[in-house]
Amino acid sequence: MTGEHPALALRGLAKRFDSKVAVAGVDLDVPAGSFYGLLGPNGAGKTTTLSMAVGLLRPDHGRAWVLGQDVWADPVRAKALLGVMPDGVRLFDRLSGAELLAYHGLLRGMDPAVVDQRAAELLDVLALTDAGRTLVVDYSAGMKKKIGLACALLHGPGLLVLDEPFEAVDPVSAALIRDILQRYVTGGGTVVFSSHVMEVVERLCSHVAILADGVIKRVGALDEVRGDRSLEEVFVAVVGGRTATGEELAWLSR
Amino acid sequence: MAVAVTPDHPAARSVSAQHFVRLKLRVLGNGFRGQARRIVLFVFGLLAGLWAGAGGFLLFAAPGMLDEPRYAMMAAAFGGGLLVFGWLVLPLVFFGVDETLDPARFALLPLSRRTLVTGLFAAALISVPALAALLAVSGLVLSAAALGGPVAALVALVGAAGGLLLCVAASRAVTSAFATMLRSRRVRDLAAVLLAVVAALFGPLQLAATAALRETDWDRLTGAATVVGWTPFGAPWTAAFDVVDGRAWAAPVKLLITAASVGLVLWWWSRSLESAMVGAASSGPAKARRGAPTGAVAEFFPRVVGRLRRDRFGALVARECRYWWRDARRRANLISIAVVGVFVPVMVNLGGGGFRMSSEEGFAATGDPSPILVGVSMLFVGVLASVTTANQFGFDGSAYAANVVAGVPGRLELRARMTAFSLYVVPLLAVVSVLIPVVLGEPGWIGMAGGTLLAAYGCGLAVNSFISVLASYSLPETSNPFAMNTGAGVARSLLVLLSMVVTAVAALPMVVAAAFLDGGWLWLVLPVGVAYGLGAALLGAYLAGDVLDRRQPELLATVTPRR
Repeated sequence: MTGEHPALALRGLAKRFDSKVAVAGVDLDVPAGSFYGLLGPNGAGKTTTLSMAVGLLRPDHGRAWVLGQDVWADPVRAKALLGVMPDGVRLFDRLSGAELLAYHGLLRGMDPAVVDQRAAELLDVLALTDAGRTLVVDYSAGMKKKIGLACALLHGPGLLVLDEPFEAVDPVSAALIRDILQRYVTGGGTVVFSSHVMEVVERLCSHVAILADGVIKRVGALDEVRGDRSLEEVFVAVVGGRTATGEELAWLSR
Repeated sequence: MAVAVTPDHPAARSVSAQHFVRLKLRVLGNGFRGQARRIVLFVFGLLAGLWAGAGGFLLFAAPGMLDEPRYAMMAAAFGGGLLVFGWLVLPLVFFGVDETLDPARFALLPLSRRTLVTGLFAAALISVPALAALLAVSGLVLSAAALGGPVAALVALVGAAGGLLLCVAASRAVTSAFATMLRSRRVRDLAAVLLAVVAALFGPLQLAATAALRETDWDRLTGAATVVGWTPFGAPWTAAFDVVDGRAWAAPVKLLITAASVGLVLWWWSRSLESAMVGAASSGPAKARRGAPTGAVAEFFPRVVGRLRRDRFGALVARECRYWWRDARRRANLISIAVVGVFVPVMVNLGGGGFRMSSEEGFAATGDPSPILVGVSMLFVGVLASVTTANQFGFDGSAYAANVVAGVPGRLELRARMTAFSLYVVPLLAVVSVLIPVVLGEPGWIGMAGGTLLAAYGCGLAVNSFISVLASYSLPETSNPFAMNTGAGVARSLLVLLSMVVTAVAALPMVVAAAFLDGGWLWLVLPVGVAYGLGAALLGAYLAGDVLDRRQPELLATVTPRR
């Protein structure tokens, strides 16, 4: 991919729902070839930010570029470069895994022969071949994440945006997903994903951004953000969690 | 440190139906918070319900007001019977049920089945249709009081209350049972057939009713009323008029029939509730047979569309095709179309044109079938068939995000959806347009019928493209294909009405044209109608597709269920 543009650039993205401000002006530059972790507590605006970045949710203010293409001004060209796995979003789950991949591939305008070949390979690598013609609706949570990832990867995008890829995934599947993502980044791709699992982020990411209350609190290379503390300490300090005094919930102990 | 629950805990306070009612009112109220549009829709629905209720009230109260005891029994038996029947069938065929309190949400709570059923039942009574029905049947009480004094009025009051309970319980039980069946892979086809048969009962019933009315044979009609009065359909309503007629012994028996029916129906409901909560029947053993090594793409395309190009359009059509069959919600809609498409024209043309029961001829057509009537009924079928697509994006829910992310052009999307839906519907419409003229003994009208039907269907697709792009709404994420979100029922009815009126107006030229033609010229309607329908559909996809391109994210937001 082109080196002069960041893989993903966000400028002043903002969104309010009714009276609640979900995202209050997010600026972010994701360098091409980076493995970028977007951290934040529940309700911080991670999903909203990523949805606006990939063209699923229209921002009130601000702009987003994918590899130099404006997502909201020229969605077709930007979306062609993107692979997305939205969180909690149902896939077209009344299809089998292979059918779903065929659908996504053809929808991206790919050649049917290439779709066939890549689908078989992806199903094999992700250990989904055994599911055969089971409909995705009957898949387990981990299998759903894996097929979602396969759909996002199928057309070989330059930027992969994943919302909570490790949520509700067992360790075996998580290791598999990690492995594939690392290979993808090594091969020149860029990954942006949201998470609140510090351990995964610390192990994978080259860059992190901590999002809370709809604004970016910390951003930069992992080592810069972390300093000499653990990422979890930084995170809790930034987000401002409370620590238990031992007085409350006394009825829990007996 | 585990939290142990010990039996010597302060006894949990018992949960009563009252809690469910309060919960439902609260959920309803919260749904309105800051949603002016919803409030307006709700008020509109309430007014419509009151209007319908007032109409029913007049019907039931009239015999008493006019001092006509002869009609009182009949109004109670037939009117009340129709009411029960409507509560049974209409939610299945048209309206769905308001599942504000989804039974699955209660699965984890320590509630006995009895508490749950009574609670959900009490909550189900809090609805606009129930209010309208209450208003209507209170006419019975008035009527009974005028004819038979306070005792009859009291019996009528008890009967009407019992009957209302029966209506609500029956509608819940039936939708719940069908939902269970439609979800299960093994019996869903059987359920489809059953549903069709139930709805198709409308036809013969209506025929018999019109035939009977034409005869105006009071003895026979009174006899029928008496018979209906002894079934659960009529028992709750007619008990009071037995008192009026001096058969006081019949009243308690009929009230007992009512009570037993309510109990039975509630028991049935509680059985299917359990499976709805646990989702036992939801998946069934999946067909895990290995796909032949033909490749993902070949597997993806159903055989019907096997000849389509393997490109974006083909993929969209193939996916829609699979979905119309695999998604229980969509399948229920297809079945409704099949049922309505056949029985409405039969009713309109045979019932309206006239059948009469006579001893020497038996069942025979009377009167001249009119091409205009046939045309209008075809128009109606076309309109009804296409209205299913008014919320086509709502069926997808948040899965529609895949198409947004892939940047599918709006025009392509709409054309593909039309194509896939038509693969199911057009053959059906073709059958209807051949069947009706043949049954009427006018095979020369097949061209006219087909042309009008397809023109109306094409216009409907166009109109509903706009409606689906501009006014889709989210469907609840439950396993009940008949479930609706709170307030969505009114919105849906309004949209359906709007789309039907606009479609009918758009397709009206076909009927007018048919009125001026006769003989062989009527065949001319076929090519013209097909061209008209096709042109309208393509134009609709062209214009609405442009709108869709501009509001894809907004559409996704409206069809995504609120969590």
